[in-house]
Amino acid sequence: MRAALKAFGQLNIYLVVGGMAILMILPFYWMLMTAFMPAPDIIAFPPKWIPTRLTLEHFTVAFEKAPWLAYYWNSFVVATVSVGCSLLFGLFAGYAFAVYRFPLQNFFFLLILATLMVPVQVTSVALYIMLSHIGWVDTYLGILAPNFASAFGVFMIRQGIKSIPVDLIEAARMDGAGEVRIVLTIIAPLIKTTLATVAMILFLGSWNDFLWPVIIINSADLRTLPVGIALFKDPYGNINYGPLMAATLICTGPMLVAYIISQKYMIRGIALTGLKG
Amino acid sequence: MTRERRRSPRGVLARLHSRHVLHAYLFIAPVIVLFGIFRVAPSIQTLLYSFYKVELLRGRFTFIGLENFYSLLTDEIFRRATVNTLTYVITIVPISAFLGLVLAVLFNAEFHLKEFFKAVYFSPMVTSTVAAAMVWWWMYNPQFGIFNVLLKLVSLPEQPWLMSSRMALPSIIIFSIWKNLGYNMILYLAGLQAIPPQFYEAATIDGAGAFGRFWRITLPLLAPTTTFILIYNGILAFQVFDQVFVLTGGGPAGSTNVVVLDLYRQAFERYNFGYAAAEAMVLFVFIMGVTILQYVYSQRFEVAY
Amino acid sequence: MTRGSKVLAIVLVLLFLIPTVALAGAAKKTITLWYPAGDITAGAAHFADKTLFADFEQKTGIKVEPVALDYDTMQQKIFAAAAGKNIADILFVDDSWLPGFLKEEMLEPVADAKAKAWLDAVSPEIRTLADYGKGRMWGYVQYGIDVYGLTWNKDQFKEVGLDPEKPPKTWAEFRDYAKKLVKRDAQGNIIRVGYAIRHVGQPHGVVHKHFWAIYGAGAALIDNHLALRGGKYMVNTPGGKAALQLVLDMLDVDKSTSLNFPDPRAAFLKGIASMQISETVSIRARQPKEAPDLKWGMALPPVPKAGDRPATNLGGWLYVVPRLAKNKAEAWRAIEWINSPEKDYELCKKYGASPRYKVNWEKEPFKSDPYDQGLKQLYPYGIKLPINLGFNGIMEATGNAIQKVWHHEASVDAALAEAERLANKAIADATK
Repeated sequence: MRAALKAFGQLNIYLVVGGMAILMILPFYWMLMTAFMPAPDIIAFPPKWIPTRLTLEHFTVAFEKAPWLAYYWNSFVVATVSVGCSLLFGLFAGYAFAVYRFPLQNFFFLLILATLMVPVQVTSVALYIMLSHIGWVDTYLGILAPNFASAFGVFMIRQGIKSIPVDLIEAARMDGAGEVRIVLTIIAPLIKTTLATVAMILFLGSWNDFLWPVIIINSADLRTLPVGIALFKDPYGNINYGPLMAATLICTGPMLVAYIISQKYMIRGIALTGLKG
Repeated sequence: MTRERRRSPRGVLARLHSRHVLHAYLFIAPVIVLFGIFRVAPSIQTLLYSFYKVELLRGRFTFIGLENFYSLLTDEIFRRATVNTLTYVITIVPISAFLGLVLAVLFNAEFHLKEFFKAVYFSPMVTSTVAAAMVWWWMYNPQFGIFNVLLKLVSLPEQPWLMSSRMALPSIIIFSIWKNLGYNMILYLAGLQAIPPQFYEAATIDGAGAFGRFWRITLPLLAPTTTFILIYNGILAFQVFDQVFVLTGGGPAGSTNVVVLDLYRQAFERYNFGYAAAEAMVLFVFIMGVTILQYVYSQRFEVAY
Repeated sequence: MTRGSKVLAIVLVLLFLIPTVALAGAAKKTITLWYPAGDITAGAAHFADKTLFADFEQKTGIKVEPVALDYDTMQQKIFAAAAGKNIADILFVDDSWLPGFLKEEMLEPVADAKAKAWLDAVSPEIRTLADYGKGRMWGYVQYGIDVYGLTWNKDQFKEVGLDPEKPPKTWAEFRDYAKKLVKRDAQGNIIRVGYAIRHVGQPHGVVHKHFWAIYGAGAALIDNHLALRGGKYMVNTPGGKAALQLVLDMLDVDKSTSLNFPDPRAAFLKGIASMQISETVSIRARQPKEAPDLKWGMALPPVPKAGDRPATNLGGWLYVVPRLAKNKAEAWRAIEWINSPEKDYELCKKYGASPRYKVNWEKEPFKSDPYDQGLKQLYPYGIKLPINLGFNGIMEATGNAIQKVWHHEASVDAALAEAERLANKAIADATK
């Protein structure tokens, strides 16, 4: 009896989870299909779930319109530098907030958190003007300017460090280790998963950042992926669905593949961020 | 653990920690300096701008006190944007959290292909909002998009989706839910799995049913996760921009205009920078207010264990 | 070698070296040109051609670098760039952005002498567009100007028994034709509209696409089109109300159109709209590629009743030079070069667009091209958008009103009363 109930429960779970999963995946599937379908098939009714034949014509058009490899490179450079700096600076700052007691500590911490609540649109013009005075407009530095550090990173790392027993740190100090060494050789390895997770989230954030890059980038060869794909957008009824989907596939494809390969680690890591220290 | 720390002699700790004040400032310096220059300074400038009529290109700044804010009160478009934003936040935050919880509970059980499905639900998070919104824009197309095609297949009436001033905002909300579902689910799942099974065992021994266990044990112990999810989703929801920009641009008839989009328009298409700054301030106050409220309220429900 | 030959040799060598060195040393200056990319701008098509400025570069040593920007964010980029004093040398912009730029004093006008010469050399409709009062030019108008016309699908006309060569001339006929042309599927969903309306997107675009009705009915956006400051909003009038009511009736009473259809041009080219009124140049440019089998006609938009004067919009793209550009002299040179009569002829022939210079209109293929000659019928009725500094506010107010009315969120009277209030406020604010 229990086995039957269990089986019934299992079936229910499959129905709900599976059903919703189909809905979740539908957009990806449709993007994939539209990108490879010949134009008449795209608007055919009844819809062609499997294309009659595959075509690469949309990709040709998409590649003609934009240098995707350059976009990838730019997105990669920006994301790596941004994440690297955020982790490094965030590690030290998070340690300081977690372990030390110092005057104005709360003030500074709240200041950092407050930046989360100010959207980039608010600061963008003032920031743009400032950057133009030091010649950072249309440069990698310009794109990176607001992204050298991350409030989210500081917050998460602080959480992670808080759960480390203070005796460990004391012991290392007794042994004569300097603070910097402690942070790099003892703390960092201990919060490996937090760091990896923060890195992942920040990387994703940088990869998908749209508004600030659009404002600061002028040259075509400096564009990051989201900026590149914005040029395909025609809000008034662009008929070229094929190339549009090909472009989005080019944009999101590699990320999705990387995700499929590493998702186990990604998800496990993100799960840990929600836990209170 | 917190209690244990408190029991240790305060004097010793204080002495130990005060030695490191210099280190502390050094360690937080990079973040503070970088934020200071590239985030805080522009924000303060914006705050100042909100009290001025700013004519940036002519270099003319006229102090007008609270006039921008008074204008905001009578600005029908801004009022609508605020209502739309609040509607968006109030709808999407609870629904996302709720769905995330439901899915987490489901995923807490054991079944085949669990990891695969988990990956599927999380996948929208790794795409850029702009790219994903474009795919959905295509799906929402009234003539050829897959949604109406599916409706037609089962002989249901076609919907205008993004073309209707009534359906546009719900359509955007559906997109946003799809995009963020996996994240909330994973967070809740972690929270669920962190609850020691002893609690459940004890409750079962005491005669609590499945629902009772859920209500009395699971939910309260999930409170920290819930707080985090509500606050985080809330802040992001107030700042929604990318998908509205791509999917509708604020229309039709201002039905999907949201505060950040209006702010952006005022600043960069009307060049009313002082006015836009005022809008930014209003938004900031909203976010702060809601966040503080949520945080204070949630403290009442937290159960340490 | 004799002494004389040595001297000659040295002189010859110098004569050879000096120009070479001078040319090599001549700094190859690069100036940038920003233009909006995408299908929305048929007039910017030629910037994609890398050889466009090749001859100019060879002749003057000035390299022109066109940079494509996203249309939606272009105004914002221009503003931010001007604020940061780091802006392109030439901007290729929508002329409806002009009031916004003028309000911020961002542009340098065309030199008076050059302007006079140009205005005299171009045909009247170009002159109307380029002249902003007393011969003042803010930029050079691009070829292939936008004039809005009614375009209709001839095969679909035939299909429902209408004469494919006879477009509707009055609003009554217009409604009647639309009713005949609308097509439904088995479930009653509209699969083809008689007339495609534009009601989504930026309020400006909504107004542009309904300009013909507003002005045709005797209303106007503002009383004086050429005044930078002052003036009165004129849409909240019987004519304006009738214009909004027309489409409302077509939606609710005739049910010959629908809000579910995208941009009129796209719908028309896809064959899901029988009639639409928008830039003819778009249809002309896109039809061969996107709808090669489409047979279409072009005419003036219909008028409220027989005997009324038709109205249509005139608009275009402008080459402008920002005041803060770093290479203004070179910029103007490049602009004058690309807008010379020879270039005008060459590019118009290449891209199938209508030329600007009176002399070019006399040449083939423009002289006998039916499309270009058809345009000549439309031009005299073309009205340019106002240049009032409060323009953006006026357009937004009107566009929002139109959207609200057609989406059934407000009555015509209420919406236009509100629009009048906001538009007059924008006009007043701009005078401060």
